[in-house]
Amino acid sequence: MTALRLLFLVAFGLALFIAPLGQGNYIIYVLCSWLIFSISAMGLNLTLGYAGQISLAQAAFMGIGAYITALLTMAGVHWIVAVFCSIGASFVIGLVLGYPALRVQHHFLAFVTLAFTTLVFLVLRNEDWLTGGSLGLVGIPRPVFGPFDTMKQLPFYYFTVVCFLITAGVMAWMLHSPWGRAFKALRENPIRANSLGLNTTRMTLLAFAIGSAMGGLAGALQAPLVQFIEPGSFTLILSLKILLMVIVGGSGYFFGPILGAGLVVLLPEMLRFTDGYYLIIYALLVLVVMIFSPHGLIGLGQKLLSSFKPREERGDLKQGAQL
Amino acid sequence: MMKRNVLAGVSLTAMLMAGGAYADTVKIANISELSGAGAAAGTVWAHGVDLAVDEINEHGGILGMQVEMREYDSQTDPLQSRALVQKAIDEGAFALLGTVYSSSTVVNMLVAQQNGIPQFTASEAPSITQKGNPYIFRTNWGAQKGMPKIGAYMRDQLGVENVAVAWANTEFGKGGHDSFVEIVEEMGLKVVADVPSEQGQADFSADVLRIKNSGAEAVFIYLTQEEAARFLMEATKQGLEIPKIGDSVLTSEKVIELAGPAANGAKGHAALTIAADEPRVQEFAAKFTDRFGYSPDYNAMKGYIGAYTIKYATEMVGEVDSQKLADTVHGLCLDAEEYPGVLIDMCWDDTGEVSRESYMVEVVNGQEQVSEVLPAN
Repeated sequence: MTALRLLFLVAFGLALFIAPLGQGNYIIYVLCSWLIFSISAMGLNLTLGYAGQISLAQAAFMGIGAYITALLTMAGVHWIVAVFCSIGASFVIGLVLGYPALRVQHHFLAFVTLAFTTLVFLVLRNEDWLTGGSLGLVGIPRPVFGPFDTMKQLPFYYFTVVCFLITAGVMAWMLHSPWGRAFKALRENPIRANSLGLNTTRMTLLAFAIGSAMGGLAGALQAPLVQFIEPGSFTLILSLKILLMVIVGGSGYFFGPILGAGLVVLLPEMLRFTDGYYLIIYALLVLVVMIFSPHGLIGLGQKLLSSFKPREERGDLKQGAQL
Repeated sequence: MMKRNVLAGVSLTAMLMAGGAYADTVKIANISELSGAGAAAGTVWAHGVDLAVDEINEHGGILGMQVEMREYDSQTDPLQSRALVQKAIDEGAFALLGTVYSSSTVVNMLVAQQNGIPQFTASEAPSITQKGNPYIFRTNWGAQKGMPKIGAYMRDQLGVENVAVAWANTEFGKGGHDSFVEIVEEMGLKVVADVPSEQGQADFSADVLRIKNSGAEAVFIYLTQEEAARFLMEATKQGLEIPKIGDSVLTSEKVIELAGPAANGAKGHAALTIAADEPRVQEFAAKFTDRFGYSPDYNAMKGYIGAYTIKYATEMVGEVDSQKLADTVHGLCLDAEEYPGVLIDMCWDDTGEVSRESYMVEVVNGQEQVSEVLPAN
């Protein structure tokens, strides 16, 4: 890790802690949403950016996570227990869905996961006895850790930051482990990866299930943040929004989804001063980014950076040219 | 030197005046659906609010202070609406207007409650006033209050025994559907077809066919505006001849506009309609049409009434105080003679529920016509 990178990480961590100070509850709420969507988008990035599969089921996994946590915490179970149930259930459902679904790839997989999202929405809405139907669940408690009560907005923000940092840490560790290298190999050239002895089906399935579990974690954080959940919040639109975060930020880059989530969550807020035009401007900006940089904002940044950097020439080639 | 002194004096006076003007405003926020699936309803409501606020400001504001109005677009997203209610309160709003969609209101009213800020909503889902929230107030009664009147009308006036229900499977539709079914079954009517539909559903052919084959003698339509229009068009196409009864949505201006001739014959039970034979309502409709270029509907009236209610109740309190405003509106009755901004006499109970007289409205040749006036309950 270079010194510059370390410096950037420290600055980013510090900024996370300083950001909400002196801000109103609204800004803190928006920052919480950003972190939660970052977790969900990082999960999808694993499926999309590393394993190269398009999934439209991330909203469904957030829904599964949110409902499990909501139901358990409302029944008096502590959040810590509930969150592991949410993550575990999302992981297992991810495996079960992924096993047959990943036999089909790319846009076929998108269709299967789209159907799954609709299915989850219908189950959440029609099983009134458990999920409250379209009325949803209201009054989800926020977790209390001994003397640290997250009921107020600022403590909840720090609680979200801690969850985010732990997730990002685990993610970074995983990407640098042999698994992470296997994921990258899969993305770059699945045939070559296969010929090197990598079980591509198993690795893709694993990436999908871990990505789903992260969706479950994001849901488990969203339920206590909003303190209300309803099936309509976890439909295809949300899946597309998370997909947009990953693609706009830069899929396949570690910080891509975090940047993308920031853009999707925070940019409409910053543009609100333009009144009726803010959604139009927002849509145009996203279009421009996609047209000029299909690799997202991080890709754009790298492109700009490399155009400023003097090209490193290999000494031996230079020498060879002189011969 | 003299010149500089004068200049300093003038700028000081200007600063003081600006400071004074700042202190002499009353901050109110409107959070509504200006984009997304609910934009049709939310925009009309927001226009109603705008009209009232401008009138209030022209006539000296509230307690002599100008109203500083902030508008927020919830994008018809409950999560967003919750965040924006928080933002409005952070920015100093002492009373809130909105939201229109019940699925948003049920979320964001928790924030207003936590902060002790009274909120005047357009939502009609029964659950909203049943959660013991002392800061939520309706601008029109909840669906559960209209249902006994509609049930009685179907049984006694139309003499039907078998009814069908077409409803939107959302917070709004489900609340209305549940109370309707419970009430008509108590009255001895039989629900022979129970047809839920999705928000934004485009094709109602299967729904209409099911109702047609069910042997229902009347259909109760409880859908949001665009869906209601599509349903009526499909019903006409398939020749569904039974009476089509709904609430204020079914006969609203937007539905008539979208459904065209298919809306003719639809009957709605409406608390607020510009077809009402009230000079105040007519005057409001004329002003609204003049300013915005289209006819107002019940949502516009709700927005207008909501903004005026804040004015009247705050002036009764005598100061800008959120808690006292909420306390005052509980159990308050406003007589439209004395308080013309509420358009029609209305009362609030301890839960924020509204009662006022209502009308059976029928669409005849693309116009709403009042066929009966029903007393307040």
